[in-house]
Amino acid sequence: MNEQLRVISELNRVIHEPGRLMIIALLAVVKECDFLYLLHETEMNKGNLSSHLARLEEARYVEIEKTYRGKVPQTLLRLTRSGRAAFDEYRKGLKAAFSSAHDTGTRQADMKKLKSPLLESKPATPRQGFHNRFMG
Amino acid sequence: MNNELQKCLELPKRYNNIDGTGEMAMGLMGLGFTFLNYLSAILPKNSMWRHGLPSMVLFVGGLLLMFGVLHWGPKAIKQHITWPRTGYVAYRVGGKSWWTMMTVAVVLGAVPACLICFDRRHDWRSLTWMGNVVIFAVGYGYWICRFSREHSWKWFVLLFMALGLFAIALIAPADFKGLWRPMLAFVCLTWLGSGAATLYLYIRHTQPPAQKAE
Repeated sequence: MNEQLRVISELNRVIHEPGRLMIIALLAVVKECDFLYLLHETEMNKGNLSSHLARLEEARYVEIEKTYRGKVPQTLLRLTRSGRAAFDEYRKGLKAAFSSAHDTGTRQADMKKLKSPLLESKPATPRQGFHNRFMG
Repeated sequence: MNNELQKCLELPKRYNNIDGTGEMAMGLMGLGFTFLNYLSAILPKNSMWRHGLPSMVLFVGGLLLMFGVLHWGPKAIKQHITWPRTGYVAYRVGGKSWWTMMTVAVVLGAVPACLICFDRRHDWRSLTWMGNVVIFAVGYGYWICRFSREHSWKWFVLLFMALGLFAIALIAPADFKGLWRPMLAFVCLTWLGSGAATLYLYIRHTQPPAQKAE
């Protein structure tokens, strides 16, 4: 198999799913956040977000803690050490795949093959853009 | 690819000032420093508040009061307004960018301090503060460009800030030494106003969820 395609095929599929990638990317730069924050930033619906979080928790990438803020229930979310490592690995893999594509001069064709949401056109606003590309 | 991912990674940073607390905190901090400095400048030379323990008490007390307001004020806004509406975020302390920022801050503070201490021939204190005002204004422009593009009206705030600084430089009766105080106060008041406007718009355009959070 072509080296570049091999790198792409080895990308972490749990993270590569657009909704989950968005969640992981948001969690990667914070210590912790709650469900409402992810709901607001990702603009997913509750069910969709919950199912993605369940999948990430199953893979032990995200830690979910049910607690209370005053009398209001709060779900705190944070990335685990293995989740952070997996995300770093995923970023490196993606970068390697596209840098090798660039080297061989076949970048455009491979971008279409991969159909990665991260490679599409510029969004109107960052958040809407992500939502449209990932969810739309 | 990296740009798109980078934008997503920067969303939590943008969220920090979604309610204007970042700008208000900066404005309050600057106003506090300006006020303390102004106070020490206008007090008579033989006043007890300029010498020994009372001067320390005044300075440290002022700083503590200021940091208290800076700590509890934004926290109260976040707790009662922001978190119930658009969610809670705790930021990471440490990491590469945090240490870079701290190092730059320490160097930027240490260089003028050394100049003030060791070079008595020039008025480095005034020069430093004038430089700070310019850095604050330019930094604000960079911050708008990078983290606050969705609020296009902030460009007008920056324009207002630049015109105001220019006007103060032209019409202020103070000499070069005292000029930085009204300039810094103006920049900080503009931040405070911009932060308050952001908070007003945030409250107006977001509602807490009708049901429980999840």
